[in-house]
Amino acid sequence: MNNHYIISAADLNKDFDSLQVVKGVNLDIGKGEFVSIVGKSGSGKTTLLSLLSGLERPSSGRITLDGRDITNSSENELALFRRDTVGFIFQSFHLIPTLSAWENVALPLFPVKMHMAKLKERALELLRQMEMEHRADHRPSTLSGGEKQRVAIARALINNPKIVFADEPTGNLDSATGEAIMETLKFLHTENGLSLVLVTHDLNLAESSDRIIHMQDGEVLS
Amino acid sequence: MDLRYMVKELWYRKRRTLTATIGLAVGIAILITMNALSSAYTEAARMPLKEIGADITVQVAGDVPETLTGPVFACSAVTIRKNDIDQIRMLPGIQGFAQALLVWVFDADRFTIVLGLDPSNPDGPGVLRSQVTDGRFLEKGKKEALVEASFAKNFKLKTGDTVTVAGETYPVAGIVDASRATKIAVAHIYLPMEEAQKMAAASKQVQTVSPFGKDDANILFIKAAPEQIDALAHSIKDILGDKASVATPASFLKRLGSLFALSDKFSLVTSLVVVVVTVLIVLKTMAANLTERAGEIGILKAIGWSNGNVVSQIVGESILQCFIGGILGLLFAILAASALGLMHVSIPIPWEMSPTPHFLPGGGDPVFRTLRLPVHISWQLAAFAILLSCLVGAVIGGFLSRRIARIKPSEVLRYE
Repeated sequence: MNNHYIISAADLNKDFDSLQVVKGVNLDIGKGEFVSIVGKSGSGKTTLLSLLSGLERPSSGRITLDGRDITNSSENELALFRRDTVGFIFQSFHLIPTLSAWENVALPLFPVKMHMAKLKERALELLRQMEMEHRADHRPSTLSGGEKQRVAIARALINNPKIVFADEPTGNLDSATGEAIMETLKFLHTENGLSLVLVTHDLNLAESSDRIIHMQDGEVLS
Repeated sequence: MDLRYMVKELWYRKRRTLTATIGLAVGIAILITMNALSSAYTEAARMPLKEIGADITVQVAGDVPETLTGPVFACSAVTIRKNDIDQIRMLPGIQGFAQALLVWVFDADRFTIVLGLDPSNPDGPGVLRSQVTDGRFLEKGKKEALVEASFAKNFKLKTGDTVTVAGETYPVAGIVDASRATKIAVAHIYLPMEEAQKMAAASKQVQTVSPFGKDDANILFIKAAPEQIDALAHSIKDILGDKASVATPASFLKRLGSLFALSDKFSLVTSLVVVVVTVLIVLKTMAANLTERAGEIGILKAIGWSNGNVVSQIVGESILQCFIGGILGLLFAILAASALGLMHVSIPIPWEMSPTPHFLPGGGDPVFRTLRLPVHISWQLAAFAILLSCLVGAVIGGFLSRRIARIKPSEVLRYE
């Protein structure tokens, strides 16, 4: 295994009953690399992201994430591994409606034994980086789409992840807000050296990445 | 488990929280109130005996006096022999013991109920010491009388006067208003025990019907721990035979009849039904709540919460919600108990314990002890209710969370 890779996937397959969604994918993503996975709806790109991030187990094949073979890890092991290593950004933000912005940011680390004051300080720092500190005590229902996604990005960074997976992060945003969000992600990649895997159907967004992986019918084309 | 998250989940999902909390609160309130009511009736049934300083009274039924002249015994309270008294006194579990002698005295000019008592014994009729309204209580070894206030008024007697009963004259040491305190062992004149015993022993009417020795008595007052009362009553009946009349709080409870029986059985049935209904309400509400939050739980797992983290969070929320419901239920119950405490209950006194002859005017009328229903919520009952609430929360939370925690985050995200 090459130590330069944050992710290595070998002969990855995923079936849902008789439907083969991911077919024989071989893929390496380098540390600090920004990779976009593009393809039409139903091409298997989101399922591939789920497999690479440990959200989904492959039907066959092998995945190594940050030097650890996660192929046969249990659900709980995967959860703890995600908490320590991975950050997620979703198209629909998936913020908890009852919690404030800073609490949503801190949410991944709620189960970790650490002082709430320290955790809040870290969450506020991330919100400051996202220019959202002034909205720290606001609940998601009072935030705009762009603001919600900034909170979601801050949440993805609270655990100092080695890699961030972003699934259509601008899909629910207008073009101007989407561009701003992409600028933020690019900034995190270039300034912080964060590995980033972006799933999108928008080739324009993908163009800013280091590498584009095209998918069609569950297979990686290039 | 994060308390902040728990509180916010409950606060911002007000409708479901209120449904579960109020449902549980009503259930807990009914549970506490019914049990407090049942205890109140039990406590009320203890009062007639408690007021006369006893948990058990003992009498023996005998024959009706042949003629009503001079001192006689009521047929409901004939001689209890000294050796039987000594045997009873030695029974295990007895905490206090007093004996008395009730004598009806038919003098030519008036009828008098006389009660002989031991002035130095605080139990039994000794409690009348606190009811003296004028003068003083009897003193041991002194030949004197204590006169009941209404009798004193009728016959214009006051402290320092003398009163004559069965040919003996006694100075009046004081006036006592016993009728306000008790309906049992109330007399017109109270004498030291040995004076009453002398009177009874010298009476031909008494000796003919129920031979009486100078150390015998005809009423016993016994104090005992509540858990010993039934066993003691049984032992006393074994000693005195079938004609013994042993009054205990349980026998007064029986006299309260259907009202108490209904309350007692209803309390048990209601408690069970309430617990089941409450559990179902909370279960249904929480199940709906968790179904609604399935997506949220999937996200928690996606961002690194383990199954255990999810379970403990949901169980914590459930316990907190049920704890609030329990506290609210306790408050409702305190209000209900305050309202029920305004009710009065009339406890029928058995005719054989009424000192007045039933053949005299008014003597045959039913006698009741009416008192305010002593509805209290004990701290043990309150603590039990709160613990039960938390237990309901823990069981329901545990049951529901184990299922929902198994949700796969990828499934939630796939169907978003």
